[in-house]
Amino acid sequence: MRVMRKKNKKRALKQVCIRSVYTNKIISSNRDLLAVVFYGTKKDKNSVNFKNIYVLQELDNPGVKRVQELDKFKGQEGKKYFEDQIGHGSDYSLSEVLWVCANLFSDVQFKMSHKRIMLFTNEDDPHGDDSAKASRARTKAGDLRDTGIFLDLMHLKKRGGFDTSLFYRDVIIAENEDIGIHFEESSKLEDLLRKVRAKETRKRVLSRLKLKLNKDVTLTVGIYNMVQKAYRPPPVRLYRETNEPVKTKTRTFNVNTGSLLLPSDTKRSQTYSHRQIVLEKEETEELKRFDEPGFILIGFKPLMMLKKHHYLRHSLFVYPEESLINGSSTLFSALLTKCLEKEVMAVCRYTPRRNSPPCFVALVPQEEELDDQKIQVAPPGFQLVFLPYADDKRKVPFTEKVMANPEQVDKMKAIVQKLRFKYRSDSFENPVLQQHFRNMEALALDLMEPEQAVDLTLPKTEVMDKRLGSLVDEFKELVYPPDYNPEGKVTKRKKDDESYGSKRPKVELSEEELKAHVSKGTLGKLTVPALKEACRMYGLKGGLKKQELLDVLTEHFQKA
Amino acid sequence: MARSWDKAAVVLCMDVGLAMSNSFPGEESPFELAKKVMTMFVQRQVFAENKDEVALVLFGTDGTKNALAAGDQYQNITVHRHLMRPDFDLLEDIESKIQPGSQQADLLDALIVCMDLIQEETLGKKFEKRHIEVFTDLSSPFSRDQLDIIIHNLKKSGISLQFFLPFPIGKQGGTGDRGDGSLLSDHHGPSFPPKGITEQQKEGIQMVKKVMMSLEGEDGLEEIYSFSEALRQLCVFKKTERRSMPWSCQLTIGSNLSIKIVAYKSITQEKVKKCWTVVDARTLKKEAIQKETVYCLNDDDETEVSKEDTIQGFRYGSDIIPFSKVDEEQMKYKSEGKCFSVLGFCRSSQVHMKYFMGNQVLKVFAAKDDEAAAVALSSLIHALDELDMVAVVRYVYNEKTNPQVGVAFPLIKDAYECLVYIQLPFMEDLRQYMFPSLKNNRKCTPTEAQLSAVDALIDSMSLVQKDEEEGTIEDLFPTSKIPNPQFQRLFQGRKKTIYFFSSHEEGPTCKKLKTEEEEAHFSVSSLAEGSVTCVGSVNPAENFRVLVRQKKATFEEASHQLINHIEQFLDTNETLYFMKSMDCIKAFREEAIQFSEEQRFNNFLKALREKVEVKQLNHFWEIVVHDGVTLITKDEAPGSSVTTEEAKKFLAPKENANADSAAAFEEGGDVDDLLELI
Repeated sequence: MRVMRKKNKKRALKQVCIRSVYTNKIISSNRDLLAVVFYGTKKDKNSVNFKNIYVLQELDNPGVKRVQELDKFKGQEGKKYFEDQIGHGSDYSLSEVLWVCANLFSDVQFKMSHKRIMLFTNEDDPHGDDSAKASRARTKAGDLRDTGIFLDLMHLKKRGGFDTSLFYRDVIIAENEDIGIHFEESSKLEDLLRKVRAKETRKRVLSRLKLKLNKDVTLTVGIYNMVQKAYRPPPVRLYRETNEPVKTKTRTFNVNTGSLLLPSDTKRSQTYSHRQIVLEKEETEELKRFDEPGFILIGFKPLMMLKKHHYLRHSLFVYPEESLINGSSTLFSALLTKCLEKEVMAVCRYTPRRNSPPCFVALVPQEEELDDQKIQVAPPGFQLVFLPYADDKRKVPFTEKVMANPEQVDKMKAIVQKLRFKYRSDSFENPVLQQHFRNMEALALDLMEPEQAVDLTLPKTEVMDKRLGSLVDEFKELVYPPDYNPEGKVTKRKKDDESYGSKRPKVELSEEELKAHVSKGTLGKLTVPALKEACRMYGLKGGLKKQELLDVLTEHFQKA
Repeated sequence: MARSWDKAAVVLCMDVGLAMSNSFPGEESPFELAKKVMTMFVQRQVFAENKDEVALVLFGTDGTKNALAAGDQYQNITVHRHLMRPDFDLLEDIESKIQPGSQQADLLDALIVCMDLIQEETLGKKFEKRHIEVFTDLSSPFSRDQLDIIIHNLKKSGISLQFFLPFPIGKQGGTGDRGDGSLLSDHHGPSFPPKGITEQQKEGIQMVKKVMMSLEGEDGLEEIYSFSEALRQLCVFKKTERRSMPWSCQLTIGSNLSIKIVAYKSITQEKVKKCWTVVDARTLKKEAIQKETVYCLNDDDETEVSKEDTIQGFRYGSDIIPFSKVDEEQMKYKSEGKCFSVLGFCRSSQVHMKYFMGNQVLKVFAAKDDEAAAVALSSLIHALDELDMVAVVRYVYNEKTNPQVGVAFPLIKDAYECLVYIQLPFMEDLRQYMFPSLKNNRKCTPTEAQLSAVDALIDSMSLVQKDEEEGTIEDLFPTSKIPNPQFQRLFQGRKKTIYFFSSHEEGPTCKKLKTEEEEAHFSVSSLAEGSVTCVGSVNPAENFRVLVRQKKATFEEASHQLINHIEQFLDTNETLYFMKSMDCIKAFREEAIQFSEEQRFNNFLKALREKVEVKQLNHFWEIVVHDGVTLITKDEAPGSSVTTEEAKKFLAPKENANADSAAAFEEGGDVDDLLELI
C-alpha cells in the first residue's frame, strides 16, 4: 500500500501532521512509500517542469533522513527556511499537480496495492476565475480515479467556512461516495491527525468467509482486525564487515550419511509412555481439520448473557462482503438491525482456516457511531467475540469474602470520584516500542543520548496524591488496624522463614518406614531433606546428591 | 510443561459391589459406566504427561487388601494399585482386570482407606493437590459414626473430593453471579428426582451432599456428577488439571494507599502442548536428523558467512540500523518491577469489550488470611460496582516483562468477590478502519419482509429458555461448559494408535447407548464437531456413523465411501493403518445391524476375505480373526441367512480348495472390485 500527499499554504498544521504520518508509518508499516509535494510554491522542482510545483520527496520508504528533512520546516525558523528554499507562489494548476503526482506513482517499478493522494488545502475554490483550469482539473481527477488512485481532501479551516460544493465535490468522488462519510473541516491539529490516520490505513481483510444461517441461507462476510498487538520489528541479521543484510537458509540432513533430506524423507512422531506414534506431516495437519472455513449459526442469546470476564482473545470485526454472494449486505443489514432491536447476539461455530479447529464465537451487533467531526468512531457490523471452551477456564482458589461496610465503601467512592478521567483507547502509547524507536532514531542520527520516551503508563502519583488530599488517610483509618502495614513484605518473609524452620523436623521417618522403602525400592520417592535427615539419624555420611544419599541408605539397611 | 508444584495425587475409589452391576434393560450398568468414566480420566492423564500420580481403590470386592484391614474392620476393600504415574497398564487393568464383586462395603470406610493411602504415599513428596474421586451407586449401607471426623480430616489435610453417581442429584443455584447472574442460572440437566431410587440411596445422597457442602459450601454440590454428565463433559476433571500460580502484589492508588492482593489466571486459551517431532522416515528416529541454519550474502554465489560474522540490526523505515544485543539490552525500556497501580477511574461504558486484548483474564483477590486487605479491596469492588465505574491500571508481571495498561472491573458472586483484570490496547495496537454505512445505502436496505423473516429466524433459534414466573433465563447451550473437540480428537486418535502397538486386546468400541441423555449428547457434540458431509480419512469410522445416523447420506453411499478408505488403508500394507481399517469394519458391522443392512456388510466381508488372500495381507486377516469380526448372523439380524456355525467357519483358516476362487481376482484388481460386489 502506498500513500502520498501534497500541500499548499498554511504549513504549520500540515508540517506536524506529515511528520506524524511519517513516524507512524515507520512504526506500523515500513514497506509503504511516501512522497511530499508542495504546490502553489515560488520555486519549482518536478520531472515535467511545471510551474509552482515542488516535489520535496519522491515516493520512497520513510526513513530517518526524510524525517529530519521535514523537521527543518518546523517552527519559526522552519517558516523562514521554507521561504528561502521553496517560497510561496500565487498561481498553480491543480490538474498539473495531479499530473505530477501520477508521474510519481508511475516512476515506481513494483506493484502497488493501493495508491492515495491526500490533498491538504484551505482553498475551497482554487480555480474560481478560470473555468478552463477547473475543468482540466476535474478531468485529470477522473483519469486518476480510473487508474486506481484515490484522492482525499484534507481540508483545513477557512474563514467563512470551507465550501466543498464550489469545486471539490466533483473532484473528490472518492470511494466513499455511498458511504456518506464526509469529514468536517479541521481547525485543530488533533482532528486533522485523526482524519489522516483514518485514511492512511487501508483496510486489510483477514479472510472472507461464509456465514451459514441455516441449511439454505448463506451470506459472505469479511473479517477484520481492529486491534492487533504491535510488536517491535524483528531483528535483521547483518554481515559485520559491510552491514548488508544476510539471507538465512535452513537445511535438514541425515546425521549418519550427511545427505540432505527432503520433506518426504521425514515423518512426524510423538511418544507416550514409551510408545511411539508416527504420522505423515499431512496427517498431523489433517488431525486439526474439522470443518470447512466459515461460520455456522447455532442460535441467538440475549446480549446481557455475554460475560465480560469470559474474555479469551481479542475480538475481530465482521462486515458484509458483497463480492462473493450478491445480497449479502442486505441480509447482513437486516440481521444487524434485528439483533440491535431485539438485543441479541448470534452464537456461531467459527472455523477460521481449513486446518484449524473450530471455536464458539458470539457475533455482537454494533451500531454505526460518528463523532461531532463526522468521523466514524464505530463502524456498523458485528464484533466477533471469542467464547472460551471448558478447557480454557481455570478454577482459582479464591480468598474468603469479607464484606466492607457502607461507610468504608462510601469513603472509597469519594476516592474513586476524585480520580475520574475519560478513558480513550488511544490514550496510552507503548513505552517499550516508543523507546525502541527513539533508540533507533538516536543511532541513525548519531545522537549522543536517545530521547527518553515519556512513559504514559506510569501513574501520576503526585497529581493523584494532591487530588486525594486527606481521603487516603481517612480511608486507611476506617479499614486498616493501627499497626497494619500493607507493604509489609519484610515481616512476612520473616514469618515464612520461621514456619519453614519449624516444619523441617516433620520429615523424620521411622526405621520401619525406611526399611519398607528400601525393600520396595521406593526410597527415591523421598525428598533430599528427608534423606539427609535419615542419614544423619543413622550417622551415615552421604554426599550431597540424591543418588549418593540413596546409595548410602540402601547399603546401610541391606547390611542390617 | 508440568512442574512439580502442580503435581496432583489422585485416588480413584470405585464401588464394585453387588448392586453396581444392576441395570435397567437396555442400559449399561453403573459398573460399566464408572469404568468408562475412569478410562476417560486416565487416558487424559496419560496423554497429558503431567507428573500426577494415580491410585485405584476398589470397594465391595470379594477379597480384602488394604493397610487398615484388621479383624472385621475395613473388609472388602482392595487397594488395586498404589499411587504412581498412570500408564497403559492401568488403562488395561481398568478395561479388563476389574471385575464386579459380590459383596458390599461401607463407602466411608473406603474413603478412610483412600485418605490413609494418600497420607502414607505422599509422605516426603510434594503434591500441590490431593484428591479422591468416588464412583458409587450409594446402595451399600454405611455407618455415620465417623462422618464428622472424616470431614474434619479431609479439610485438615486439604484433600478434595468428587463424586460420580449413576443418577443426577437435584442441584440448586450454583455459584450464581450477582448482577448479570441473578436472572440466569447456568445449571442444566434434569433436576427431577432420579427414578427407582432406594431409601438407602436417598440416605447416601444426603450424606454425600453433606460432605460436599461442608467441604466447599454451595460450590461443593457442583462437584457431584452423574456418570452421563461426566461422559458428556470431560472437563469435570478440572480438579487435577493445571492450576494457576498465585501472583502477589500490591494494588496502589497514588503513593500512599496500597492493598495486598493476589491474582490468578482464570481464563487462558488451553493449547495442545505436545508437538510432533521430526523423525527419519526409514528409521523413525529423531536422532538421525539434524537441522542447521546458515547465513549467506545476497550475492550471486550466495557466499556463506559464519554466524560470528553477523550482527543484529533493525529496520527504521528505509534504513537498517545495526544494533547489537548488548546495546539493545542496555538502552531498552526497563519497567520498575511488578506493579498493579491505578492510573485512574472511568465510566465502565468507556472501556468497551471490543478493546480487550491479551491472552488472559486475571482474577484479583485480597491476599490470603489478611482481613484488612480483604475489607479494603471489598470497599473498592463495591465502590466501583455501585458507581458503575472501572479502574484503569498499569500491570507489570515482573521486572523482566513489559508493562501493560488494562482494565480492572468488579465481579461479585455469592461465594466470592474480586476484580477482573484484562489488558487494553496501546495507541500503536489500534487500527482505525472505516466502513461504508449500512443505513443510508439504498443498495443494501432490507425490505420489511426481509426484516420480519430475520425476526422470525431469531425467535425460532433462541438458545435460552425464559421462565416468565421466576424471571429467570436458562442457557440451553452454555458454550463455556463444552470441552474443546480438538483435545478429544487427540485423545481418541492417539489412544487407538497406541493400543495397536501394544496389543489387540481392546474389544469392539463400546456399544452405543440408547438412553435419551446419550442421544442429546450425540447431537450437542456433533454440533461442536461440525457437520460431516462425507467420510474423511482421519476419522472414517466416526464420520460414517454420523452420516448414516443423521441420514445425511444413504447407507449405500456412506458405506461405499467407507470401503474406499478401508481399501486405501490396506493398500499401504502398514500395521498402523490396519488398526484404522478394523475400526471402520467394526463400525460398518454395528451400523449395518442397526439399519438392517446386514446383507451389504456380509457381501463386503466376503469380498474382503478374497481380496486379502490375493494381496497376501494375511497379517491383517489375523487381526480380523483375532477380533472375531465375522459375518452378521441370523441371531443378530433377522435379514441374514448366515448361521452362527457358518459365521465361525468363515473365520477358520482357509483350505486350499478355495484357491480356485482366488484366481478370479488375479493381479489384485483395483479399488472398485469390492464396491461392485455389493
